[in-house]
Amino acid sequence: MHFFELLWFSAYAELKAEASRSYLGFVWWLLEPAMFMAVFYVVFGMVLKRGGDDYLAFLLIGLTFWQWFKSCISHGSHAIWLNIPLMQQVKLPAALFPCTTVVSDTVKFLFIFAVLLVILWSSGYPPWWGYVVLPLLFLVQLLLATACCLIAAAIVPFVPDVRFVIENALMALMFVSGVVFSLDAIEEPVSSWLALNPMVGLIESARSVLMHQQLPDWSLLAQSAAGSVLVMLLALLMLHRLAPRYPKLVI
Amino acid sequence: MAELIGLDDVGIVYQGVRRIGGTGYWALRHVDLSLREGEILGLIGHNGAGKSTLLRVLAGILRPDEGRMRQARKLRAQLLSLGVGFVPHLTGRDNAVLSGMLHGMSRRAMKQALPAIREYAELGDFFDMPLNSYSAGMVLRLGFAVAMQSQPDVLLIDEVLGVGDADFLEKSTADLQRKMRSGMTCVLVSHQDDTIRQYCDRAVLVHGGRIAADGSVEETLKRYHESSRSPS
Repeated sequence: MHFFELLWFSAYAELKAEASRSYLGFVWWLLEPAMFMAVFYVVFGMVLKRGGDDYLAFLLIGLTFWQWFKSCISHGSHAIWLNIPLMQQVKLPAALFPCTTVVSDTVKFLFIFAVLLVILWSSGYPPWWGYVVLPLLFLVQLLLATACCLIAAAIVPFVPDVRFVIENALMALMFVSGVVFSLDAIEEPVSSWLALNPMVGLIESARSVLMHQQLPDWSLLAQSAAGSVLVMLLALLMLHRLAPRYPKLVI
Repeated sequence: MAELIGLDDVGIVYQGVRRIGGTGYWALRHVDLSLREGEILGLIGHNGAGKSTLLRVLAGILRPDEGRMRQARKLRAQLLSLGVGFVPHLTGRDNAVLSGMLHGMSRRAMKQALPAIREYAELGDFFDMPLNSYSAGMVLRLGFAVAMQSQPDVLLIDEVLGVGDADFLEKSTADLQRKMRSGMTCVLVSHQDDTIRQYCDRAVLVHGGRIAADGSVEETLKRYHESSRSPS
């Protein structure tokens, strides 16, 4: 289908253009998240001395999956808005632009994930056959990230002011997704509410597989998958309703 | 000639942007228009009359808020726009493929067309250099070369008939002319009487978002100049 052909090529073009904009090019795709992870490790692992021996692995897995989700949304939320002039010239589906940023961020995630695996293997968390469920985790998270990205991208052209809220909302969401500290210590009824966030199940499942050599808690993962499907349906409905209005917007 | 696209009582309303409340502005209202296969239709009218909006409706970019658009079959109507989606950091080659694909061409078709585009745009070795090293004229030539590759069912032209320096202007105008006269259905917006006379089989006068005249080129031009003299 033409949409996917265009999507792959746009993402390729975006990655290539991005790499050519700096001296180190695609090295930054590894270096930037590494720097980000280092900051968290120094603050939480060395200065505050939280958690036990497992804390570095715990944190890095959480950050890797979280950064993928976060970058899809913070990059993708501008995507429709920035491409309105293009949509006034050519008939194009609005979803193309946010999906392009999701694809390019996913490629960058795969680089980071490779680095994460090397770190895990060299610090005593060897690979095992349970890795076969990883593609399933990726798929659910890709669905969730795409859906959230589409919703943000659909709203921003109408209310550009939300851009300022999105970054901080993502920061808040990070703390309740169990990225930097475990949510086990939180008591009812708050913990039940937090469990509605599909990222909790995804990050927990990733930790089970990568750190504890355990298959994910299937009911938790199924909950995340169902939540992701719901958010995606909402996103598609919104885009379908709003699509005819984008070419009319003045930016 | 068979009708290709028909507009029935079409209206396009722009809402007040980024203000709560605010009434809409009707850029087009009660527009009936029939575009027939193989004709070259001229659109004339003052600035802000709704000509460009009408082209965007025909291109399928704007969906009518009122009335409806009929199409005889599944059509590809395309606005002639140069350099669509060009990215400054990519090479001319990558930009040509990207822009062509945004215009609805397949990647394979664009790959095959690359040697022709390179030659037509007269870029030489610059073809594999990033676009931000090009002169403005080179970007236009590349944009035009890409646009000439696509074969839409209906070509919609907003003023631009040729680009570049004297030589390239002559070449691009001649090629666009050949394309328009090869039996392609075209809609052409122009402020120049001579251009409309030279190319069009029929002309439509757009005034205040409505069709004020629809008929032979001479009659419509006459109405246009009458309306210029009497401000309304």
